[in-house]
Amino acid sequence: MEQIEPFAEGFFIALAPEFVLVIGLFTLMIVPNMGNAKFRIPLTQIRIPWLLGGQRGKFDSDPRLPGLFATVFYTIAFLLTAVSFFGGMNKTQIVTPSGTVMLQIDEFSRMFQLIFFGALALASAASVNRIPATSRADRSLSGLYNNRRQVDFYILLITTGLGMAVVALAQDLFMLFIGLELASFSTYVLVSFMKETKEGTEAGMKYFIVGSVASGVGLYGLSLLYLWSGSLGFTELQTAFAETGMEALPLIALGMLLVGFGFKVSAAPFHFAAPDAYAGATAPVAGVLATASKAMGVLGLLRILLIIASPEATDGSAVWLVALGVLSVITMTWGNLAALGSTNPKRMLAYSSVAHAGYMLAAITAIGALNWEEGHVDMSNDAALAVVTALIFHLTVLVCFKLGAFLVLSMLESEKGGHTLESLGGLAKREPIIAAAMFIFMMSLAGVPPLSGFVSKLLVIMGIVKVALLDVTVNSDLVFSDIHWVWYLALLMVINSAISVFYYLRVGLVMYFNDPEEGREGPLARGTPVRMAIVLCLITTVFFGVGAGQLIALAESAANALVGAW
Amino acid sequence: MAGSGSSETIQTTALEYAPYILLLPMLAFPVILLLGKMFNGNKMWKDGLKEGGLIALPVMAASLLLSLWLMVDFIGGDGRADTSGWTWFTSSMWDSSQTTVTEITLGFGVYIDHVTVMLLFIASFLCLLINTFAIGYMNTDPINDNRNHRFYAEFVLFCSGMLGMVLADSFLWLFIFWELMGLCSYLLIGFYYERPSAAYAAKKAFLTTRVGDVFLMVGLAVLWSLFHPHTAAGQGALDYAVVFEPDNLKAVAETSSSSLKWALGLMFIGAVGKSAQFPLHVWLPDAMEGPTPVSALIHAATMVNAGLYLVARMFPFFGSEYLYNDLADLAFIIAAIGGTTAVMAAAIAFVQHDLKKVLAYSTMSQLAYIFTGLGAALYLANTLHWHEYLIDGTINPDYDTNHAIVIVAFGAALFHLFNHAMAKGMLFMASGAVIHEVHHAHHHLHPHDEHHEEHPEELLMLANYLHDTDQSVFGFFNSIDLDQSGDVDTYEFQKALKHADIADLPPWEIQPLMQALDMDGNGRIDIPELELTLGRVHLASLADGDDHHDEFDAQSMENMGGLASKMPLTATAMLVGSLSIMGFPLIGGFWSKEGIIANTWRVALDDPRFLYPAMCVLLGAAMTGFYMSRMWLKTFAGSPKTDVAAHVHPTNTWIKTPLFILTFMTLGAIVLASLGFTHWAPDESYKPFFDGKKSFVEGLVYELNHAFANSDVFFFALTYIAIFLGAVVGPGLALSLYGGRLDEDQESMPWFAPVLAVNQFVKSRYNWDNRSFAQSGFATALENRLYFDHYYDMAMLKIVAAFSFRAAEADSSVIDGTVKTIERTSQQISTRLRSLTTGSARDYILMAALGTLGLFALIWGVVA
Repeated sequence: MEQIEPFAEGFFIALAPEFVLVIGLFTLMIVPNMGNAKFRIPLTQIRIPWLLGGQRGKFDSDPRLPGLFATVFYTIAFLLTAVSFFGGMNKTQIVTPSGTVMLQIDEFSRMFQLIFFGALALASAASVNRIPATSRADRSLSGLYNNRRQVDFYILLITTGLGMAVVALAQDLFMLFIGLELASFSTYVLVSFMKETKEGTEAGMKYFIVGSVASGVGLYGLSLLYLWSGSLGFTELQTAFAETGMEALPLIALGMLLVGFGFKVSAAPFHFAAPDAYAGATAPVAGVLATASKAMGVLGLLRILLIIASPEATDGSAVWLVALGVLSVITMTWGNLAALGSTNPKRMLAYSSVAHAGYMLAAITAIGALNWEEGHVDMSNDAALAVVTALIFHLTVLVCFKLGAFLVLSMLESEKGGHTLESLGGLAKREPIIAAAMFIFMMSLAGVPPLSGFVSKLLVIMGIVKVALLDVTVNSDLVFSDIHWVWYLALLMVINSAISVFYYLRVGLVMYFNDPEEGREGPLARGTPVRMAIVLCLITTVFFGVGAGQLIALAESAANALVGAW
Repeated sequence: MAGSGSSETIQTTALEYAPYILLLPMLAFPVILLLGKMFNGNKMWKDGLKEGGLIALPVMAASLLLSLWLMVDFIGGDGRADTSGWTWFTSSMWDSSQTTVTEITLGFGVYIDHVTVMLLFIASFLCLLINTFAIGYMNTDPINDNRNHRFYAEFVLFCSGMLGMVLADSFLWLFIFWELMGLCSYLLIGFYYERPSAAYAAKKAFLTTRVGDVFLMVGLAVLWSLFHPHTAAGQGALDYAVVFEPDNLKAVAETSSSSLKWALGLMFIGAVGKSAQFPLHVWLPDAMEGPTPVSALIHAATMVNAGLYLVARMFPFFGSEYLYNDLADLAFIIAAIGGTTAVMAAAIAFVQHDLKKVLAYSTMSQLAYIFTGLGAALYLANTLHWHEYLIDGTINPDYDTNHAIVIVAFGAALFHLFNHAMAKGMLFMASGAVIHEVHHAHHHLHPHDEHHEEHPEELLMLANYLHDTDQSVFGFFNSIDLDQSGDVDTYEFQKALKHADIADLPPWEIQPLMQALDMDGNGRIDIPELELTLGRVHLASLADGDDHHDEFDAQSMENMGGLASKMPLTATAMLVGSLSIMGFPLIGGFWSKEGIIANTWRVALDDPRFLYPAMCVLLGAAMTGFYMSRMWLKTFAGSPKTDVAAHVHPTNTWIKTPLFILTFMTLGAIVLASLGFTHWAPDESYKPFFDGKKSFVEGLVYELNHAFANSDVFFFALTYIAIFLGAVVGPGLALSLYGGRLDEDQESMPWFAPVLAVNQFVKSRYNWDNRSFAQSGFATALENRLYFDHYYDMAMLKIVAAFSFRAAEADSSVIDGTVKTIERTSQQISTRLRSLTTGSARDYILMAALGTLGLFALIWGVVA
């Protein structure tokens, strides 16, 4: 593996997608402020065109400009990340001059960056034309006379992506936390960005308070770990954990980190702020929270649970096995049951995303149940690979259909709808394609074949079952008591999926069989970028279901980069 | 399914593209439906794209081209059964029987053999022609305006169902596409769903075929359980590649040949339902409620052929040496069902006045011929040693003779399937052309009749009852409305009719009445709606008085006659088609029908049980001659019976083109016969096209020699008896009763002249009076379709309806009760859980703190 020091040769090329975002950040700061201002050299009459300030031109005061910039830069970052997959992944580590590894570029981190950048590109495309210029402005294009406010929004969106990228690359807990906080703080502001609505401000405030408590607890755990081992690097912590992991200090730290990341993936009972936040935020931001932000949380959990507190190190079941299992059971059941009664589609999607978090926790639990004794290592490695592959696949396709569903809601938001199920009424008549897309997103969320949601759920369930039956396979005799209890997690997932069909189908029912609400007749407001984003989500939702093989192979290479590190 | 195919599979390019034959129409389905929804009423959509017709047309043409490519590739190659697959995804799965984790492949595979190729060509060729016809038929009728996209979308889905069923490489996929066709037939027969009769017919077709499908499903399950132990890793037990594998067949035959017989028997019942054979034939005549292209599609190209295809597909079981003589009984049952239906349907066709109904019964009867032929062929295959090597590996001394017998028998049945499909497709399209033009002429002459509003009699009586007893609709139904819902459901309406002493109707007859009442079409009838409609019905009855208005029936042959001069091409097509169905020498079906009759008698010589189907097909030949001639003469010969028929004009090019093509296809059957279509073999041992042994002329001489100068005295006599019955007795009787010379001033095509001259001659010479027969009880029974529908309805009412009321009660109280309890409990828990989300950040942090403590407890509990 190649090692590069910061600002040494190859540094910028290795981190090209991230630096594109940094450039985007500066572009967003500078370009919308350019005007015809001139600078007079003191004591002379010579005026040099200075460009910053003054009367702005038509181009740089265009309200759509920041959104388009953000979309373009995210797309470039996404493509650059994707390019690194072709022609072989050039695995690189960024090290300090003293040799400590800070960042690592491999299939795993790049795969997650694809998820982040993809989701954020779609969200920024969907937000073009959607952010009013002032807090009082009517939500119409004529209210967008000025782009000052939009700039703020997209700058925050870009810092979110930068933070997430750092989380993906981080090789020590310190870097990971820096990235996490950068992304988190940006999303806190993004959630409350619609300060003209009461819900927006309140939601942002609550999300911030609960989130900062969780961050605080996590940070406390982190400092305990540092106190215990004197290092924050993943490899060092892994070694230390394997030797003296059963002491009080690392275990308490592990619990606290679980709380911190539990909030990020919105696991029950740390999820409470999530429904409020999703409902208060604009739909694209809520979509980012439900997909990219969640993927970031899962990424953190994978790093902490599988690398630092690696189950392999503890010979047999991991210490966190039972805790995570209970957490996943509570999370998926709570999410589904709470979603049943929600009449606000955004809250419903929030709870559904809690349920999905439960499924993912169940998958991670299964890895904790693997047996690492002599003679089992190869098979356990295979099974762990299968589960992590399923997880990554799930997180990727989640961007297609969950974000897609939020984008559809964002179209309704432009007519102050999207907060009640009734506002979706008659959508099939008003917008047949958008309604069909929403229906397919719902079907995919429910896991109906042949959509990608089905494949992802199938992969997760089969991964868990594979783990549960491993011991049985070795003994080649089916004894029920030999089946590991994580098998019940798979069973519970199936039951929960069955429950979830109820509230997903209800959306279709309302769209196709109810009449539009009064004042909501006719097609929705125009907006080419958001429509294109929805169609893109639709195509990928179907494509990754029918032609799942390619994406599974990609996810497997990413999973291999993580699990192969054992 | 795919993936478990044999290893020696030869991949050709045509085979790789084979899935597109069905994928293209399947993809066209959503495209047409969505575009139709989006651009409904748009001028470009309507005139430029014919509401989707011109999207479907190139798609079907592409399917046909791919099919032809595949056929040429297959026949030009070694003609060996071949498979190819497309994999969706592979995943590992626990297999308890093998105690291993095995790879399971999900996907679709294609299986090509002679039977596939024949059916594939018929289906894709006729689908294309019917599509062409439909553009001329559907798009010119104002009643279909702005909803043809629904027709074309369902049409292409139907086609893809048939093509998929033919191409599928396993019985499971066959069943899936079989059911897809069932669904589409329901949708298409009920295309005019606002007509109660169409809705009823659609339901009848769906439910009757469903009876067969249940048996088919059970049969497949038995088949699966038989072959499951003999498959690798227990998968693909219904794949043809597995099921027809001689080693597997041997293993199954040794242990459980009688179970296999049952499995095949049950599957045959499925075929009986799909192909409308006795006793599951009742749906087919009613299915004429669909638009005519649908009739052509169901009766020629697709649905009814599916049942025949399934039986033909079973050939490897019957032909297997390991099952020698085990399945002869089943073959007899197949032939006997065929024979029975052939005579029964032909008899009912005698008395039908509706042009399309005659054709419907004719279809039933001709399909029965094919079943009889298949039964005979399967019997021969099962009771003769026809393989090159005997079971013990020695050379079979009777190989040449027996092999030729089996192949000719099977080939006759399949060739009749081909001939019938072509002729019947043409006949339906021609009848469609006639109906279309008669309808147009009627519309032209009597424009006002179209808007006559018709109300079911029961509604009229109910309205009058309420008026007479001076009850308000609201009061009356409020006393009936048992559940106080404000809506009236079927059960309540039934009670209302009973209460008013009008009728005690079964629920399926209530449904159409209810639909007539449902004004806003939301599927519910509330009392204000009822009040309005019944009021209107009552007013209409006052206005009408007793002056009952005879509805003009554009499909009735009583309103036609003399059309030969008005629609020469259609009349020609109809004539050629009729002659083909009758088995008139040298034309179309003659070549195959003779083969079926001869082979049934060949079996009858060996097994006296077969005398029954053999007599049936011989009798049926005469009956076919009669009713087909009757139909043609009543429609096209003589003078016009109504003023409408005198004002009919030739039809448009879209309709004419397929008729033209099919006329030559039917006349050209002699060429196909010479090319060896009569020897369409079930195995790769025989090549149908020029196989180097015979040239075309030699083939022609061989066929003619075989048909007219058979060296075997018995078959020589049989041929001429059959020709005499089918081409002289039957038509002669019809010629003496119906038709006549065209009107003086009417000119027509020269080839009608001899027919009409003979008609005139026979009619004037033997002008029999058939009134005594027409008034006899037997004719009445025939007109009532031998009371099958009646008895089925009675049985339904007595047994099924009674049971279903009980079941409905149990459903609403027990099953719905349980589901609703679960739902209510879940909702309560949901409310309770969501009430924990108080909206106060303090509470959230409190919960998070509790969670943290819980986590610590759990981790600590594990470590300590």
